Amino acid sequence: MNRFDLITPEGTRDLLFEECAAVKAVENRLIQSFKAKGYSEVVTPGLEFYDVFDSKSRYFPQESMYKLVDNKSRLMVVRPDSTMPIARMTATRLREHSIPIRLCYAQSVFRNRPGMRGRRDEIRQTGIELIGVGTRRAELEMLGMALGVLSSFRTGGFRLELGHIGFFKALIAKTGFDSDTVETIRSLIEYKNYPALGDLLENAEDTPAVRALKQLPRLFGGEEVFDKAYKIAEGDDDAAAALDDLRQTYSRLVSMGSAGGITIDLGLVNRMDYYTGIVVKGYIEGCGDAVLSGGRYDRLLADFGLDVPATGFAVNTDSVARTEMKTNPVELETVQAVVYGEDGFETKAAAYADELIAKGMRAENGVFDTLDETLAYAKKKGLPVHVVSDSVRIIEN
Amino acid sequence: MDNNTGKLRIALTKGRLEKDTVALLEKLGYDCTAVHEKGRRLILPVGDSIEVVLAKAADVITYVENGVCDLGVVGKDTIIEMNGKFFELVDLGFGRCRFALAGKKGGDFYSGTHVRTIATKYPNVARGFFEKKNMDVEIVKIEGSVELAPLLGLSHAIVDIVETGTTLKENGLEVYEYICPISARLIANMVSLKMRKAEIEELISGIEGVIGCQDKA
Repeated sequence: MNRFDLITPEGTRDLLFEECAAVKAVENRLIQSFKAKGYSEVVTPGLEFYDVFDSKSRYFPQESMYKLVDNKSRLMVVRPDSTMPIARMTATRLREHSIPIRLCYAQSVFRNRPGMRGRRDEIRQTGIELIGVGTRRAELEMLGMALGVLSSFRTGGFRLELGHIGFFKALIAKTGFDSDTVETIRSLIEYKNYPALGDLLENAEDTPAVRALKQLPRLFGGEEVFDKAYKIAEGDDDAAAALDDLRQTYSRLVSMGSAGGITIDLGLVNRMDYYTGIVVKGYIEGCGDAVLSGGRYDRLLADFGLDVPATGFAVNTDSVARTEMKTNPVELETVQAVVYGEDGFETKAAAYADELIAKGMRAENGVFDTLDETLAYAKKKGLPVHVVSDSVRIIEN
Repeated sequence: MDNNTGKLRIALTKGRLEKDTVALLEKLGYDCTAVHEKGRRLILPVGDSIEVVLAKAADVITYVENGVCDLGVVGKDTIIEMNGKFFELVDLGFGRCRFALAGKKGGDFYSGTHVRTIATKYPNVARGFFEKKNMDVEIVKIEGSVELAPLLGLSHAIVDIVETGTTLKENGLEVYEYICPISARLIANMVSLKMRKAEIEELISGIEGVIGCQDKA
């Protein structure tokens, strides 16, 4: 029988030293900046009941979740997302809490993905949720923070991309497609599959909405996108309302600075059952996947019995750390001295090491019995040895 | 991910699609001398702004998906089989053929109640096709000439790419049913398209211009 006791499951990995330091550094920086803006950190369980992720809108495909059963044979999943558990928690334990509720987190999510594709199954995410207030100010707070986060990364250029799920929903509602076809169209738009989308819509009745849907994947870029979009959706009040909403938020965000980094993509139609308004993605140079993702999800908490609006985003901490490491080598906080107590002076040596540490040095305790062994060890690591007896002498190596 | 040259990096499926793509790039005025004289090199410059990577079809998708290549040229057959996360921007029009269900000439595939065995190089395509028909089939993955499987009695039929049908005919097989058309596609990494929009759109509009002319001719 094969034993798998020396390897980690596919899609997971051990993080050692530099890699670990890089991930923790990104995580700490983000959490500190979130806390400074009034966000409180929370942790949700690693295991949740399957039902949390299986609401009527089916936000997660069941094959993407790791499942197990508890001692009462109830189906559980290893947390595939942090927003839904936080929605569950808010709708129950924070029901009476004064709004807005500002929460942040840094924890892993787990997705069961096709193997051997260079993708991760365990993804460390750091994010915020701003719950209870649906004003444009709240939305701008979230987007402004997303912008701040992206520009804080020690990587090349970045883009914050805005979309509005309402635009697609308005157009698709004007067509008579059944839900399977709608899902096909949504997916073709998400993956900008111009040829297949064209073929599919070629056979449909030639209405303004169908013509607009055909153009939708091409509606991305700078401010000029709005003019094109208004023209395409002429006469469609709902689509225009979504555009008005997006444009107002966009121009307010641009006036907050870094206009160059903000773009529009009306073809951002991922997870359309989940998002209800603005959607956002963040990209950084040197990383082949979006590193930030979020938006407005005003109906999610209602699924858990608390009908309040909410916005939020999550950052893929692993991807950011890996990308930062390419250009910014991590300096580990290595130890600077070994403290060795001669026989009978162990306690004094420990106190002396604490003194060094109190002065800001990193010092480790000598655990070998003889000075010779300690010196040999310290020489290998290139460290000075502080020998403590009646007095202290320092042997450089 | 590690594209530090500043050039647009395009992964090409080695073989026929590579030749057709190079011909297309040459029509657009790119200097493809290095590709013609490639020897054993796998990364080659095309003009001043493009770098071409030669890879197997499935690897083209993997490289583009992970962002180490910005664009890729790959057959729709591989796209359906692999099913990844990337933008599928242009139907390049060449490499045209079809997925088909085929078997021994004169055979009646759908009659009877037995579970059918299907031999294929494309298990996901085959599974998807029969799932839509609500049929349980047994799928056997074959690496080489799939036509052998029904002849040797391993499977009732095959799911494979059919271009002219000559191979099938010469081996006493025939198409039972066409599944879907296939052609070469230009795919893009989902971040590259956003970060390098102007360059990629310029290339695409050039390509669409050339393809448009060919369609009219």
